[in-house]
Amino acid sequence: MPHAVAMPKPGQFTEECTILKWHKREGDPVAKGDILFEIETDKANMEVESFYEGTLLKIVVSEGGTVPVQATVAWIGQPGEAIPAAPPPPLAPPAAPIPPPPAAPAPAGPVVPAAPPMPAPAPVAPALAPAASAPATTAAPARLRISPRARRRAREAVIDPAPILGSGPGGRILERDVMAYLAAQGYDRLRISPAAKDLARREGVDILRLRGSGEAGRILIEDVRRAIAERPRPMSRMRQVIAQRLTQSFTTTPHFFVTVSADLTDLLKHRRRLKELGEPYTVTDFIAMAVVLALREFPDFNARTDGRQVWTFSKVHLGLAVSLDSGLVVPVIRNADDLSLRELHDTAAALVEKARAGKLTPDEMTGGTFTISNMGMLDVENFTAIINPGEGAILAVASTQETPVARGGTVEVRSMMKMTLSADHRLVDGAAAARFINAIRKRLEDPAVWRAWA
Amino acid sequence: MDEYDVVVIGAGPGGYPAAIRAAQRGARTVIIEREAWGGTCLNWGCIPTKAMIAAGETAWAARHGAALGIRAEGLTVDYAALCRHKDATVNRLGAGVRSLLKANGVEQIVGEASFVSHGRLQVQAPGGSRWLAARKVIVATGSESAMPSLIPSAPSVVESRGFLARTALPPRLLVLGGGYIGCELAGLAAMLGSEVTLVELLDDILLLLDPDVRTEVRRSMERHLNIRVVTGCRAERVDAGEAGVRLAAGGESFEADLLLVATGRRPVTRGLAAERIGLAPDEKGFLRVDGRNRTAVPGVYAIGDVNGGPQLAHAATSQGLIAADDALGHRTPPNETLVPGVIFTHPEVALVGVTETSAREQGRSIRVARFPYAALGRAVAGGVAEGFVKWIADPDGRLVGAAAVGARATDLISEAALAIRAELTADEVGRTIHPHPTFGEIWMEAAHVLAGHPVHVPPSRKSAG
Repeated sequence: MPHAVAMPKPGQFTEECTILKWHKREGDPVAKGDILFEIETDKANMEVESFYEGTLLKIVVSEGGTVPVQATVAWIGQPGEAIPAAPPPPLAPPAAPIPPPPAAPAPAGPVVPAAPPMPAPAPVAPALAPAASAPATTAAPARLRISPRARRRAREAVIDPAPILGSGPGGRILERDVMAYLAAQGYDRLRISPAAKDLARREGVDILRLRGSGEAGRILIEDVRRAIAERPRPMSRMRQVIAQRLTQSFTTTPHFFVTVSADLTDLLKHRRRLKELGEPYTVTDFIAMAVVLALREFPDFNARTDGRQVWTFSKVHLGLAVSLDSGLVVPVIRNADDLSLRELHDTAAALVEKARAGKLTPDEMTGGTFTISNMGMLDVENFTAIINPGEGAILAVASTQETPVARGGTVEVRSMMKMTLSADHRLVDGAAAARFINAIRKRLEDPAVWRAWA
Repeated sequence: MDEYDVVVIGAGPGGYPAAIRAAQRGARTVIIEREAWGGTCLNWGCIPTKAMIAAGETAWAARHGAALGIRAEGLTVDYAALCRHKDATVNRLGAGVRSLLKANGVEQIVGEASFVSHGRLQVQAPGGSRWLAARKVIVATGSESAMPSLIPSAPSVVESRGFLARTALPPRLLVLGGGYIGCELAGLAAMLGSEVTLVELLDDILLLLDPDVRTEVRRSMERHLNIRVVTGCRAERVDAGEAGVRLAAGGESFEADLLLVATGRRPVTRGLAAERIGLAPDEKGFLRVDGRNRTAVPGVYAIGDVNGGPQLAHAATSQGLIAADDALGHRTPPNETLVPGVIFTHPEVALVGVTETSAREQGRSIRVARFPYAALGRAVAGGVAEGFVKWIADPDGRLVGAAAVGARATDLISEAALAIRAELTADEVGRTIHPHPTFGEIWMEAAHVLAGHPVHVPPSRKSAG
């Protein structure tokens, strides 16, 4: 009896995965521990090893296919063994677009439950459908009701028949509908060069949607090439998740923003000294420590709300936004409030390195209670960040800039760093935010405080 | 002081069409020419050389007509009569330019124009000076032969204009420069009976052509016209006297009765006093312009050889029309970028668009299809079965370049230019019925080769590249 190879569940919140690449082909011998295939979850890519020994009899889900976790993706057994007849798993189209967020506030959808384990908030709107069952708008023509003659007409005319209203039974598009549509769209007046038409036909570009740059509006090959280059591309899974989560947060959380300038002159000197002593702390380490301490003092900022109830977290799980070429990830330092500066530094460094290598596990990217986004190395004066879903606030840290500052009646050049707190106005008010961010600032400016850290 | 909407300086193939277009747009237009109506093209370039090349081709065909049953014994060339034909041609066409200008209401002034200030020009003429006020000025002053410094001034040393002015053909001609002017004049002299040697500094002649095309021309020049072609050879010293000339180049000494120097042309801006309006030629002497031939000075245009674009009469004409339209506020697309080139060697050569060489240099992927004259019925019947044409297409099948070398190549190239500019595909050219038996069929045949289903060559020799 052959063994079914199941799509693993790489994280406790992962619902589905996409097969990126098969490392074995049908008929290949497989040993236990061999890498069978590579998957992409909404958070990370990983390689999947075989639990079985034998021959890869059949690949059920090919590269690019997305299936729910635990679905059968292949069979391993002895050559010649019969594979049990089973309906193929429900295949999601690769990179199916996520539907636009509903107008009403929605709790975190099952795609990426970002909040840590907790009582589920009472839903106030139907949950977002998982991406797998989302209608694939770009694949719509596959289900278009159209007669073969009408389809051929459309193909000859190099147009997309999808917008045509069908007059046949059940709205089926007939040839006469295509002809009427072409007439109504002024198709006869369209001028297009033969090479441009050829290219549009091969690439499936609807020439009615093109604007010609040639004489008298003639469509030239450059116009078609531009249309091809500007065609919508499916977002990567990672970007879709970012889009969904940040849209949800920004449209359902009333953000407000408070900015302060922290004088880091003394702290930077201290940091340089430590570096010379072989203790290479980063500015982020100090900011993280100051944030953790301030959060102990202001627990309202280590909390979340759905507008009816407030969950205040007893531990600080500190998220650090890390920018990658492919998008943004937020690894989480668990129990940051239990850690020394040294431990914070080591944990952060390890997580950032894993993030850069694309090796974070989904569980390392969930469960944050507060996040720091540091763009200090990107030479920005100030910026604001969007609160991570499931959290109540985020701190945006800008670059340290040499700035003339009035001090004691004279102007001095100091190393100033702006920080902007984004907070959920349902949880907290401006005065509390001002006190909280100044509590962070004071810790960064007071040598007595950080000398005790390191 | 007379006031004009448009003043055109120079009545060459760029200037006079610009003036005609401006007048047709209703502008009060004047054109100023200091020397000869029709410019270099009509007087000392395109046109007179074609008169002489026609004679050369006729003489050569008569001498080599044995295969067609033509024997011309004791054939001689009456060079004086040929020169009369050449001069009559030039005079007739020059008069035509003047009458066209007149018919369109363009005022004509003979004299030398210079800028006085912005919008003010002075014209020095034999009868005295005139001052003009101009809203727009189109500078079309052209170019002239550049003489390298090592070339002495002597009766036995000429450039192309001096060569055409001579009333006798030298028994031995030495040509310095293997560009298109040098090659055309070397060829016509050889066809008319001179013993010709051509010396070129670079590694080959006609380097703007793809290697397969220029090899075909060079082979014909060497084998059929008995021209000695010496390349990669730097001229070191020229000794010229009344009777003859000696050129030391590349360790060898070349002797001839006449040295023709065709090493390049330089723009003409001296006398314009362009600096008075803040118009500075670049380091090579060109008046740089934008895509509609506007110089950096508002209201002042430069077209043709003087602006550093392709030094071709037909490019100047196209630019002149665009400049006139733009000067008069008529919306016009920018200069055409597809400029065919034609060379009246034996055989003729023509090209348009992308060459294989330039595509490779740009790392552009292309497909190439050739079709030989030897497989074209009309060419074989006419005894002119040497040469080929080729299409260059991008991977999408769009035609992006073409070249022809062989009989009537210069006429054939126009179909290719039209096809490329209209973005035709090889398939469309292949499906277009071309009349049989003609030379023009060759593009259809080559298009079939590109599509991979040739009729008149074996299918194994399909598209390469």
